[in-house]
Amino acid sequence: MTFPFPFPSADFDDAVAAICHGTASEEQLQGLHGALRENPAARDEYLVRVELHSRLASDPDLFALAHRETPERPRTDDQMSFPASLPPPRAVPSDWARRNWAVALTAGLVVLLAGGGWLRHRLSSDRPGATSRAVAMLNRTVNARWNPNDPPPRLGAPLEPGRLRLEAGLAQIVFYNGARVAIEGPADLRVISSSEAACVAGRLTAEVPPQARGFRVTAPRLDVTDLGTSFGLSVSDRQTELHVFEGRVDFRADREATNRSLAAGNGAIAQGNGAPLRVAANRDGFTSLFELQAKSVAADALRYDQWRRANERLGRDPSLWVHFDFEHGGPSDWRLSNTGALRTAVPDATIVGCQWQEGRWATKPALEFQGISDRVRLSVPGAADALTLAAWVRVQGLDRQINSLFMSDGFAPGTVHWVIRDDGVLGLTVIGPKGAHQILASPPVLTVDQLGLWTHLAVVLDGRSGQAVHYVNGQPISQHPVRISPPFRIGTAELGNWNSVGFPGNDPFLIRNFSGAMDEFQLFGRALGEAEIRALYSDGRPQSELPTHTEH
Amino acid sequence: MSSDSPRNTDPVAAQQRFLSLFLRSEREVFRYVAALVPNVADAEDIVQQTALALWEKFDAYDPAQPFTPWACRFALNKARQWIERHQRWRALLDGDLAEELARRREELRPDLEIRLRRLEGCLDRLPKEQRSLVEGYYYHRQEIDDLASQSGRSVAAAYKSLQRIRHTLQACMEKTGEPEGSAP
Repeated sequence: MTFPFPFPSADFDDAVAAICHGTASEEQLQGLHGALRENPAARDEYLVRVELHSRLASDPDLFALAHRETPERPRTDDQMSFPASLPPPRAVPSDWARRNWAVALTAGLVVLLAGGGWLRHRLSSDRPGATSRAVAMLNRTVNARWNPNDPPPRLGAPLEPGRLRLEAGLAQIVFYNGARVAIEGPADLRVISSSEAACVAGRLTAEVPPQARGFRVTAPRLDVTDLGTSFGLSVSDRQTELHVFEGRVDFRADREATNRSLAAGNGAIAQGNGAPLRVAANRDGFTSLFELQAKSVAADALRYDQWRRANERLGRDPSLWVHFDFEHGGPSDWRLSNTGALRTAVPDATIVGCQWQEGRWATKPALEFQGISDRVRLSVPGAADALTLAAWVRVQGLDRQINSLFMSDGFAPGTVHWVIRDDGVLGLTVIGPKGAHQILASPPVLTVDQLGLWTHLAVVLDGRSGQAVHYVNGQPISQHPVRISPPFRIGTAELGNWNSVGFPGNDPFLIRNFSGAMDEFQLFGRALGEAEIRALYSDGRPQSELPTHTEH
Repeated sequence: MSSDSPRNTDPVAAQQRFLSLFLRSEREVFRYVAALVPNVADAEDIVQQTALALWEKFDAYDPAQPFTPWACRFALNKARQWIERHQRWRALLDGDLAEELARRREELRPDLEIRLRRLEGCLDRLPKEQRSLVEGYYYHRQEIDDLASQSGRSVAAAYKSLQRIRHTLQACMEKTGEPEGSAP
């Protein structure tokens, strides 16, 4: 080595790389110093390289196409060179949250608190929070017969990465990024992530809405990346056929280094080791799958419409103080509009962090809470003898001991904390005067197999009758006498998180951020009856009936 | 605790405002720091210390001014202090070289931004194995030892691959006039 390093030179290159990796030797630091000090061109080159490095390290969106909403994307051995590199579920969100977490700590930004009542009352069980790895859902089937050696997938239940072997009939799988895949038996499909599947054998069609762009299907001889379209894939022992019906897909044949693009009306057939044969797209083999997809889209649109009409009726209820339908959200929105009766006093809530994504229906927006800072803040004036809280949520995991649904700030008398505990218990803490509080805890109801499913949760706190009731999907789960007297109120509060308002301490176990998505929230200034809660559920449930077994 | 702070009458609102401003600037501040101290873990430490300092001085922040440049001034100070404490690093950034790099980076930024806009497309064009390594390292933040052993390489070879991949990406970004996603 010579000092300073000449520029350009291999020594210079290696030194810049080494400081990026944190492995630079004393000599490298000195040699680089000389080069940077003496040569403006070296400085510019250094800055460009370091900027590229720091951008890769700080912009997760760069990798977003492949990870639109499941950063924990598991991989298959046949396509990735690091088969053992399965990060633990949610590894990435926590990585990215870690820095914010530290910021929250240093800034005293009170997502933290010690000595809250809940911890002392926790069940002694120490089991870690259950986290769903679900990435898709079995949406509908027609005369489906599954391979008897596999546990039969349940309709409407979330699917974790794994194998689906359909011996006969039709089935539709909705991936959490919004892609719908219909398969016709005999078919062998592996669900890999919320944005990826592998078709080992059989016939499938995929419909990929814009937000699911980048959805991948790998197959023998061909990998397909969908760019927002619809296509069909037919895999047999001898060949793999790809037919593009709408939009455009990229595909890559085995042994080819680059992607090829295929526009609507075109197809490709890959056989053996040769280059794929270009053909015209042919719908003939996919007729029944298209029918299934069309029915499913129509059913979705119908449900979405029914929910909207029900909301118009609800809009006339003066006791519906706050109603967030999450309908007008977009990536750049920092506000949620209140369409409830208090919309003058509570016009907007402020979104901090969070991500917009798909809700109960493909075109319905929802807000995803994931990071430790993610929250929606609002302030609700007034008080009442009774309150009803209701929300549609998709719980992704119970990562915290206490996972906030909706919590008033701090511990002000008369306010409430609506939460899910890590053992699946729904809780409503009612704060009384002078630090008194009462915890109304349901039995454990949110079990692991419910994670990843859209679920309707509600709680009614009735100060007049002195009763509180928890509901899941319109059904009362548990009833509790209420000892704390009304009036009850909300004040300043957060959806999906909690602001402890200066309570001392920084115990990380008391971070209470919610992990999952929400696409509707209602706050009523009265006690709703059982039939009313049931109606909220049935007007808003994602599908008409479960199971949605459809006959020909 | 912040609620004791005399700096304003509503500490909760101030915290909220700070959090919101800081989180929006955080990546920018990180990149500013990384120009001086490129190692990711070290740069993140400096950003955290910067956050603390910013919060302490938040009452001096003038909301009429943009937040990021204000934050970057603190970040430069924190980076300087960090360099002072790390003997080896003084060999690289002694004198006013840190300030000179920060200044020059500002001048280059418009041009850098144009090039970096092509980065996502360039990442997509990497062969699978390279893409997977760069994702493992930068996105999943996997340990280099794990990345190396999973791919049957030595740690040095894995680092060398990362260096080459960045070189490929840089060359790709610098290619101009090529429409996105054009057929190879």
